[in-house]
Amino acid sequence: MSKMHTPAMEKIEKKNARRKKPLVATPSYEAWKRFKRNPTALVGLVVVAVLILIAIFAPLIAPYDYQVQDYLSMMQKPSAAHIFGTDQFGRDIFSRVIYGTRYSLLIALFCTIAAFFSGGLLGIIAGYFGGRTDTIIMRIMDIFQAIPMIMMAMCIVAVLGNGIPQLVAAIMFASMPTMARNNRAAILRVRGCDYIESSEAIGVSQGQMIIKHMIPNAVGVMVIYFVGFLAVSIMMMSSMSYIGVGLSAPTPEWGLILNDGKAYMTTAPYMMMFPAMMIMITCFAFNLMGDGLRDAFDPRLQ
Amino acid sequence: MSETKESILKIKNLVIHYETDEEVVEAVNNISLDIGKGEVLGLVGETGAGKTTTALGIMGLLPDKVGHVVQGNIFLEGEDLLRKSNREMQKIRGKKISMIFQDPMTALNPVKTVGDQIAEVVLLHNHCSKAEALTRAQEMLAMVGIVPERYRDYPHQFSGGMKQRIVIAIALACEPDLLIADEPTTALDVTIQAQILDMMRKLQREHGTSMILITHDLGVVAEICDHCAVMYAGEIVEYGTLEQVFDRPKHPYTRALYQSIPSLDKDVERLHVIPGLVPDPSNLPPYCSFCERCGEKKGVCSKYDTSIVEVEPGHLAKCLMYSPSWKEAE
Amino acid sequence: MSDLIEVRNLKKYFSTPRGMLHAVDNVTFSIEKGKTIGVVGESGCGKSTLGKTLMRLHDPTSGEVLYNGEDIANMPIREFKQKYRSHIQMIFQDPYASLDPRMDVLQLVEEPIRVNNKKLSKAEVTAKAREMMELVGLAKRLEISYPHELDGGRRQRIGIARALSLSPEFIVCDEPVSALDVSIQAQILNLLQDLQKERGLTYMFITHDMSVVKHISDDIAVMYLGQMVEKCPSGEIFRNTIHPYSQALLSAIPIPSVHEKSERMILKGELTSPIDPKPCCRFAARCPYATDRCRAEEPVLREMKPGHQVACHYAEKFM
Repeated sequence: MSKMHTPAMEKIEKKNARRKKPLVATPSYEAWKRFKRNPTALVGLVVVAVLILIAIFAPLIAPYDYQVQDYLSMMQKPSAAHIFGTDQFGRDIFSRVIYGTRYSLLIALFCTIAAFFSGGLLGIIAGYFGGRTDTIIMRIMDIFQAIPMIMMAMCIVAVLGNGIPQLVAAIMFASMPTMARNNRAAILRVRGCDYIESSEAIGVSQGQMIIKHMIPNAVGVMVIYFVGFLAVSIMMMSSMSYIGVGLSAPTPEWGLILNDGKAYMTTAPYMMMFPAMMIMITCFAFNLMGDGLRDAFDPRLQ
Repeated sequence: MSETKESILKIKNLVIHYETDEEVVEAVNNISLDIGKGEVLGLVGETGAGKTTTALGIMGLLPDKVGHVVQGNIFLEGEDLLRKSNREMQKIRGKKISMIFQDPMTALNPVKTVGDQIAEVVLLHNHCSKAEALTRAQEMLAMVGIVPERYRDYPHQFSGGMKQRIVIAIALACEPDLLIADEPTTALDVTIQAQILDMMRKLQREHGTSMILITHDLGVVAEICDHCAVMYAGEIVEYGTLEQVFDRPKHPYTRALYQSIPSLDKDVERLHVIPGLVPDPSNLPPYCSFCERCGEKKGVCSKYDTSIVEVEPGHLAKCLMYSPSWKEAE
Repeated sequence: MSDLIEVRNLKKYFSTPRGMLHAVDNVTFSIEKGKTIGVVGESGCGKSTLGKTLMRLHDPTSGEVLYNGEDIANMPIREFKQKYRSHIQMIFQDPYASLDPRMDVLQLVEEPIRVNNKKLSKAEVTAKAREMMELVGLAKRLEISYPHELDGGRRQRIGIARALSLSPEFIVCDEPVSALDVSIQAQILNLLQDLQKERGLTYMFITHDMSVVKHISDDIAVMYLGQMVEKCPSGEIFRNTIHPYSQALLSAIPIPSVHEKSERMILKGELTSPIDPKPCCRFAARCPYATDRCRAEEPVLREMKPGHQVACHYAEKFM
């Protein structure tokens, strides 16, 4: 009688009627619900998904081999045959950019995982044990951080030489301090929560506390850093390749393609435009997704 | 409600929903209220009863996109607030209606001096110079019992009770006609609460400000209100003067509420318990929402809903008990 | 009846950048087995710290806590955990923050059982957890719910189930009902009382709410800035309040009635911080009866009547 019925309620009732199983509202499901409501985050997610698909199916998408040099069609402007044009060796830029997705994403992933397991783990240890351990680890990280990231990576490559493992190692060392700092903060936040004290009161041991309570609760924040860091490592990798350290030709990495086009910037700007665009889109998508995750994993779980 | 008194705020059949993709929360269900000039109304209820939503609805501060006024009118001195544009509402807020929030810590800007924060409100609604506004700010501080010289201090230099005094000073700076206080003392200790209530009562008497006091504490209502409205699941289940509601509660919920409070002067072995829980506001029953927990229910209670009726002059209750057919009902 | 817990000159100081914070300062009291002591005071008076120190969540600065005659405050933490962890349990203040949001109800109740009885099989742990859930009145269908889906009352029941599953003798209840609505508050208070009767539990009930403490306690201790200022049987404090602070605390409570409007004693000022306090009566700054003696000399807890102790120089005057 006094209760109102509105169109919005009917819509939801219909939706619920279609649903077979009742929903269990796990915290992760709640986070997904919030993520879903965020249009920019969804755009980021879709773009990232498309990029991953491109990387997987690169041989099917690319019309040419990325390293075959065709001297009959050098320096061609974008056309139906070569939609991104060709470079000074007659290689199809579109194919190179497509294969480049594979290299760039994979190397970025390796870098991030490496950084996470070195710097991240140190951060977790520092955050959990606190006191002297914390001080020692974090001061070492401070020393690392005093050296500019790119500079550090360049030094490492200079010593170890070019190649993918060296590049991964370089980026890992360069980004360890940031990773450690972020993860330490994530653990510290969880550590201050009442439920840690409450578990301590019922006699949960230290190892159990880290595995069962702290990591599951900090994981949301760590995922945010992880995704955000993918964008950072793509940028770092590309800028290093661009200045000629790290990877060597003919690897179709975006930074290297950029480097190839550098000499023809004024006569053939398309040679730089497309790989640059890909770098931009990828970083942008990862950042959008990271922001969406941040909102979704908001610590205030209400 | 009597027709003779001059009312400042009149709410008619107000319904407010929070609508998201997953659910519709029926936060406020068809409430009507009338607040007279100089009257202090206590709005009592448990968490989720719709007290704060009502207040936000009056202020026009419902959360964007999610909060909807589905029907009803809110008249402030005859003008319908729901028809006002955002810009017009901005002029009304602070000048005609002010609101005090529960947590004084978050209501103040930490990087501005308290004097500036009070002066800001004064400048916003009055044509005066900065110096005049600051003088006014000092007067306000003195009024709420803080040494006026402290107007140059920052919020963190004050304790919790002092901060709440400053929040009250900001709210009263433009001498609003209506003050809405949402749990103004809940975050404070009892001895500080007593100070703040004492001060609010004094200020209210001196200025004749009308007030809506939102609280879950019946004791606080007894301290400073003259009328009382009890809310349950988004509805007003009982309304009357303080004497009527406290001495002769008519709604089973109000009665049960009194019995469940541990008393200071009586010894009871066990407390009276209201069984069960507040119904889910996104899934309210089509009948009386208190029915499931009610100790005085009959079969008809889970069939029909009723509207609020006058059980004695000026005393309203929303219960089937007061319908003519109650006696015959099973 | 014998005393289950005896606290002697317990002190807990925290060092802060501004000086030593005397959170609990020289507190002495005892709790009989099967009884409830209510500890009342405003925020910052050290009542929670006192509870956590008894639990060994904090190590005391000095003093003793005798549990059945053995000093548990100064034994190595490892030994305490082994011998006494399951005897002394705690119910936390904020049922919203004290439960891990990533565990469902069954996992939360199982945790203490699993952790403390390593020999039990998975099925036995679950069976015991279900038994505990039934004991505190949590329906079986809630097993797969997460804390954020439940209301405060049910969350607090989870907290109680977790504490009780270790079959403790002594439970520190740190403001267990202050975050709850009145109607739910009554449910939880009754549950706590029933459990006490059934299992002979001893409670230390920490709260700021005088009416709740009066309802549930046998003895009441009033704390102010880390010190105990009055301790007496619960009926006594409402009839013969002696310490001026207790009087003020009582008269500040808003009474939900239209008639009983007694003269209010409104304290001036607010709680000062207990950092490096001077040797004087800590309440002197706000006390309406304070004299020079109060500002110069620290009063000690004196027995004024059998079972009624007060820390005030002029206790006789207020009797």
